[in-house]
Amino acid sequence: MKQSTPYDVVIVGSGAGGGMSAYILAKKGLKVLMLEAGRDYKPEEETPMFNTNAEAPLRGVSTPDKPFGYYDATVDGGWTVPGEPYTTAPGKEEFMWWRPRMLGGRTNHWGRISLRFGEYDFKPYSRDGLGVDWPMTYEELAPWYDKTEEIVGVTGGGEFHGANLENTPDSPPGILHETPNRRLHEIMLARGFESMGIPVAPMRAAIIQKPMNGRQACFYATSCGRGCSIKAMFQTTTVLIPPALETGNLDIITDAMVYTVDMGKGDKAEGVTYIDRKTGEHRHVKARAVVLAASAAESARILLNSKNGRYTDGLANSSGTVGKYLMDTVGAATGGHIPMLEGMPPRNDDGMSNSHIYVPWWGYGKQAKGELPFPRGYHIELGGGQRMPGMGIAGLANYSDTAFGKGLRADMRRHYGTEVYLAGRGEMIPNDDCYAELDPEVKDRFGIPVLRFHWKWADHEINQATHMRQTFVELIDRLGGKVTWGGETDGREAIAKGGEIIHEVGCARMGDDPNTSVVNKWGQSWDVENLFVFDGAVLPSNPDKNPTLTIMALAMRNATHLAEEARKGNI
Amino acid sequence: MSHYRSKIDRRTALKWLSAAAATTLAAPKMVRAATYVKTPKGYGTDPDMLNPTSPWDRIMTDRQLQTTAAMTDVILPEDAPHPSPSQIGVPDFINEWVSSPYEQTKEDQKVILAGLDWMEAEAMKRFGKSYADADEGEQVALMTEISASASAQNDFFLRFRKLTLGGYYTTPVGFKDIGYIGNVPLEHYPGPTEEMKAMLEAKMQAIGI
Repeated sequence: MKQSTPYDVVIVGSGAGGGMSAYILAKKGLKVLMLEAGRDYKPEEETPMFNTNAEAPLRGVSTPDKPFGYYDATVDGGWTVPGEPYTTAPGKEEFMWWRPRMLGGRTNHWGRISLRFGEYDFKPYSRDGLGVDWPMTYEELAPWYDKTEEIVGVTGGGEFHGANLENTPDSPPGILHETPNRRLHEIMLARGFESMGIPVAPMRAAIIQKPMNGRQACFYATSCGRGCSIKAMFQTTTVLIPPALETGNLDIITDAMVYTVDMGKGDKAEGVTYIDRKTGEHRHVKARAVVLAASAAESARILLNSKNGRYTDGLANSSGTVGKYLMDTVGAATGGHIPMLEGMPPRNDDGMSNSHIYVPWWGYGKQAKGELPFPRGYHIELGGGQRMPGMGIAGLANYSDTAFGKGLRADMRRHYGTEVYLAGRGEMIPNDDCYAELDPEVKDRFGIPVLRFHWKWADHEINQATHMRQTFVELIDRLGGKVTWGGETDGREAIAKGGEIIHEVGCARMGDDPNTSVVNKWGQSWDVENLFVFDGAVLPSNPDKNPTLTIMALAMRNATHLAEEARKGNI
Repeated sequence: MSHYRSKIDRRTALKWLSAAAATTLAAPKMVRAATYVKTPKGYGTDPDMLNPTSPWDRIMTDRQLQTTAAMTDVILPEDAPHPSPSQIGVPDFINEWVSSPYEQTKEDQKVILAGLDWMEAEAMKRFGKSYADADEGEQVALMTEISASASAQNDFFLRFRKLTLGGYYTTPVGFKDIGYIGNVPLEHYPGPTEEMKAMLEAKMQAIGI
């Protein structure tokens, strides 16, 4: 393929980081090429809105083909991608890696929780001597959070706005959309937490409550995880990519699996090489700057696979930290049955797919006094209510003394909506035991070396998982309920596997020191000045507050910086 | 009990047939299908979500399907206006489930098909007729027996009941019975009524929170 004029920027990936980068750069007038490893995907045409589980094979349950259920908007992926393996180093804890192969990446089926990192989160080392500080403060990123939230559309305001909780920043007035009314079980759970001295806040989720930019407001039905054809839920495929295309400055090639950054003269990148996943052909594209946003681990894989005679340990890796300081989120969950909710009248508990409340970390004071055996916080997500039945509904029979017959029908009705769950999501501190490297043996179906993961949870995280479970068990007990699953309070048993919460970040962290970081505070490689990383790989720490909003705010800020540098002729 | 007739219409049956044909015949020629299908004969990693199909053969014998239909209706008997499971095709779903190529249904397949054969043999031995043809009292008596935790057939009972209840309550008919009133677009989200909130408030105060 002959390319007459080089693009200004080639972006690898179309998810949160890539989608936002393309939106900013195309709007600023740069000629942009986006390469996506998966197929084209159009939520407006493909989303199974309102379909019941009865219409799906096996009532929609998860299978190896669709690990989050039939209707989940994940194309050709999940914990495994056929022909594209990854490995876990022998003797290490398992690491799980969720990857889709579709335009928009994981924003098509993400959890939508959009919490801002707080001031402490940018300077964790300065507070407790663990991990590293960010090369920026909350104040520096705050305006970019504002702008990102305005475009994305984030719910979390209204009646409970302005909680002013420690290290839990609110947005300026007018940005957040009104939070819908609390569901019955949420009123109950909030009261339970408050009886333990734990404050509850409105959930911040990337779902809109009023029409904007050609998107309809949420209509409180049909699960967001399927995608959203009315565009109420944020996906780059409905919110960022279409306006970027409208500028005429963006081209997109799908089924384009990038595996190297190609170097030109001097220490400058010349472009990237990809494999056409349909034909197996290798193609090279040129650009004045390269942006990697393929997801934390995949961006690191590209850098490591870009090694050559000059860069023997991989590109942009003079610090030796590409692939290092991989982090996920600490996860542990518990379910309970609450008799207080038995026999309550039918109500519409659909709401927005997310819970309408959550519990921000409340223990900063105790940690400062050394009263907790773990240094960092977690927030609590929760659920329950009379949601659309899936196969799990059969479990309600366990609460009945009647094994079958008309009495069982009545008991099913009585117990419907009496189950709740609580899930802790906590900060993991980067450590030397958790990283990704190239597997010396295994290659994917295209012949490209794959990643081998090393993983080991530290006591900081295990003790935190213990505390999560203890909190959940206490809450369920206070509500007069019974724990039905996840009652084991040994953190080692409770903690989810590495990668399982799908918040993997790190692998090309930003910093002020070229010896200990891969990129500077603009996501720019220390070694290759026209090479940028605009995805979760740059995060130097992984606060409990789900990373996607911050990935987008950073991408917006850094892409704006890149566009300014390009305008000045510095790229 | 009258003979159970599959509720799968001809159009759906043809869809299965063509999907199955596409998998077995076309796959070797197509790079995409050969590469992406994770479970052979499954629906693949990129199925058409707006036109779902279960492209695998159904393996129950007619006798097993008849026993299935009778058992589902003993577990959730018709309770007007709520129909019984066999009236809305739940036995077809159980057949789909135990016939699936996926790993997680394999144990159900083994236990349930063996259990259905056991029920049939036991009914013939005790009542001199098929379980499906036994009278209500006989059907209930045998079901009562296997629902006891001490029964050697209890694992079968629990697995079968899980599929019956899951199959039933995931349908619009099941929604109506159990009280699911969502899946409808709303302009505003109302939350619970004041009356409901008052009921909850009283219950919370009663336990001191």
